[in-house]
Amino acid sequence: MDELELLKKDWKKQNASYPQLTYNEIYKLIHKKSSSIVKWIFIICIAEFVFWGLVNLLIPDSFLEIYEKLHLKIVLNVFYILHYAVSIGFIYLFYKNYSSISVIDNTSLLMKKIIKTRKTVNYYVYYNIIMSVILSVIVNFVMFSKPDLLLQVMNPKNLVVDADKFFNIMLIAQIIGLAVTIGFLWLYYRIIYGILLRKLTKNYKELEELD
Amino acid sequence: MNKDLEHKFISEFQQHQNIIHKVCRIYTNNQEAHRDLFQEIAIQLWKAYPKFRGDSKLSTWMYRVGLNTAITLYRKSKRTIKTQDFDSVLHKIQSTDYDATEEEQLKLMYKAIYQLSDIDKALIFLYLEDKNYKEIAVTIGISEVNARVKMNRIKTRLRTILNP
Repeated sequence: MDELELLKKDWKKQNASYPQLTYNEIYKLIHKKSSSIVKWIFIICIAEFVFWGLVNLLIPDSFLEIYEKLHLKIVLNVFYILHYAVSIGFIYLFYKNYSSISVIDNTSLLMKKIIKTRKTVNYYVYYNIIMSVILSVIVNFVMFSKPDLLLQVMNPKNLVVDADKFFNIMLIAQIIGLAVTIGFLWLYYRIIYGILLRKLTKNYKELEELD
Repeated sequence: MNKDLEHKFISEFQQHQNIIHKVCRIYTNNQEAHRDLFQEIAIQLWKAYPKFRGDSKLSTWMYRVGLNTAITLYRKSKRTIKTQDFDSVLHKIQSTDYDATEEEQLKLMYKAIYQLSDIDKALIFLYLEDKNYKEIAVTIGISEVNARVKMNRIKTRLRTILNP
């Protein structure tokens, strides 16, 4: 191909035309802050671990009292112990994958490792969501199987309420809460994958299709 | 990090900086983006330098880190830049060497290359740098056969971009 040979000739001549940086200029350059996606992925992943860790700590005490009255305290404690063990496992995996990322690997391997690191945190988030759903199903099941107790716990002052209406409101409130949470999560991941990972996944797919 | 290592790195980087300029040349089309990517590659090279053991040539290692940064790590800054095209800037410098048709052809070539995917750009770049298929395959992490196939596809694609 003639044009390509022409280009190769021109390419070699270009060496002379690039601005040459001085020692001091290079010194300044290498001490600037990196804006690489690996750094951003690291920050976001840490934020996610902190967020999901805090979500559990933020449950108000009054809630725990309700659970106690419903005899759910033990179930919850077992859940928490399990949950923290699993979380530590995830943090260890994340750290292991993250520290294996190296810019000197070949392009394909580098991309694979970054995607693997990100996936670890995704699985952690899925795990959290699934756990929350399971937990709320159990809690709901227990609550609605003991309606008298629930009514008593939720309405300690014994105000006159219509029991059916009360249960409907509770159910609807939970569904709305769930929908809003899912909406936020969906938006969040759209942003993460849209801004941060679109380029990476596109390039990785291109290499995968080759092999 | 220690001062001797830093001094050694900067001196070596200074000697080989054209490699990085050329990576930026393939992946960016204006001076500001060129500078931005150049900076990120310099930072990545410096961060990885303590792990460079000299079992490969420094230049080979720089190709790899440079391309990895351009393809994978680098995030284009959001600033939209309306400066002059880098192509035309460079070609003004060199136009004395060429006749008008050659210059026009080259301009079209660079434009066509800029339209290629990030991976294709890496292959074209290594090809222009006279790397053989084995080196291209090892750098990108694909098989040699696939490197050949892909390179042929790129050539065909460039041809169709140039002669629609």
